[in-house]
Amino acid sequence: MSIWLTYLGMAAVTYAARAIPLLVMRNNPPPWLALWLRYVPAAVFTALVVPALVTTSGAAGRVLSLGPAVLAGIIGALVAWRTSNAILTVVCGMVSFWVIRMVMGG
Amino acid sequence: MQGETTGRWQAIRSGFVATMIVWPGVAPFGMVYAVSALAAGLSFAETLGMSLIVFAGASQFTAVGLFAAGANPISIIAATAIINARHLLLAASTASYIRQSPGWLRAVVAFQLTDETYAVGVQQFEKTGGDAWFQFGANLSLYFIWALSTVIGSLLGALIPDPAGLGLDLIFPLTFIAFLMPMVRDRVNRSVALLAAGISVAAALWLPGSWYVLLAGLIGSAFGAWFAGVTPKTTPKEQL
Repeated sequence: MSIWLTYLGMAAVTYAARAIPLLVMRNNPPPWLALWLRYVPAAVFTALVVPALVTTSGAAGRVLSLGPAVLAGIIGALVAWRTSNAILTVVCGMVSFWVIRMVMGG
Repeated sequence: MQGETTGRWQAIRSGFVATMIVWPGVAPFGMVYAVSALAAGLSFAETLGMSLIVFAGASQFTAVGLFAAGANPISIIAATAIINARHLLLAASTASYIRQSPGWLRAVVAFQLTDETYAVGVQQFEKTGGDAWFQFGANLSLYFIWALSTVIGSLLGALIPDPAGLGLDLIFPLTFIAFLMPMVRDRVNRSVALLAAGISVAAALWLPGSWYVLLAGLIGSAFGAWFAGVTPKTTPKEQL
């Protein structure tokens, strides 16, 4: 039973983080906040991409790891820059990752 | 009324379909989550229940580890709060696009807002303007694939290979690269991305959990706002 209560607690704290800004920000934000929020997507997307490419998580926590994933990410970025095609970006990135890993003998 | 209902339905459907692009990145991890939850001693109902009630990938993985270690509920809830604090920023960003929609709808959208559906929503809203129903459809799409992959993972169990071993954990950042690149065609956004890259890597190495997303997101965007203020105005066309 306590496991389901734990879920409710987890859901409550998660929902609070997701809901409070969405429910509070009803009116026109002040100009400084609107300007700030305009650059959140680029900053957040970058934060979701770059550490995922250049670090790995192990028993000792997260460590820097510059391997095939970095090169695959650069190739993906070039494809995305030229084509703006998400599927092509993922396919080219994954294929180059597997090829690079095979060549490097990983 | 008929027209409005049709428009809603179309927005939900296009949000749902647009989010399928992230399914390949999400599904393997839904399956692995299920396998590790069952291995940690959770029942099938409890495994699926967490996906349906909590619906937050990284914190579910962490919770499974803590359940397996016999941690107490309070520490599990605290860990969840820390990992999911980044949603404050995603929700604030989403709110700036859909704040004019009804409160109940924003409350519903908030329940299923994730990294993935935030990204799908924002890159659509940048093109066509905000639409809470589109966001709802996107959220529903991810909720569906997360639940489905949890069920499939529970059924297949140990037959599932380690997705990280296959490099499938790369699908997630690659998908986000595709969302990011069209966004950094102007000088301000490019500077924001460069700064956020540096901060996020440093914070990822030295801070626990996902603080690095919140930190890089806040500082990077604040820098962008300042930089845009001191940069001579460009026309919308030049900004592209």
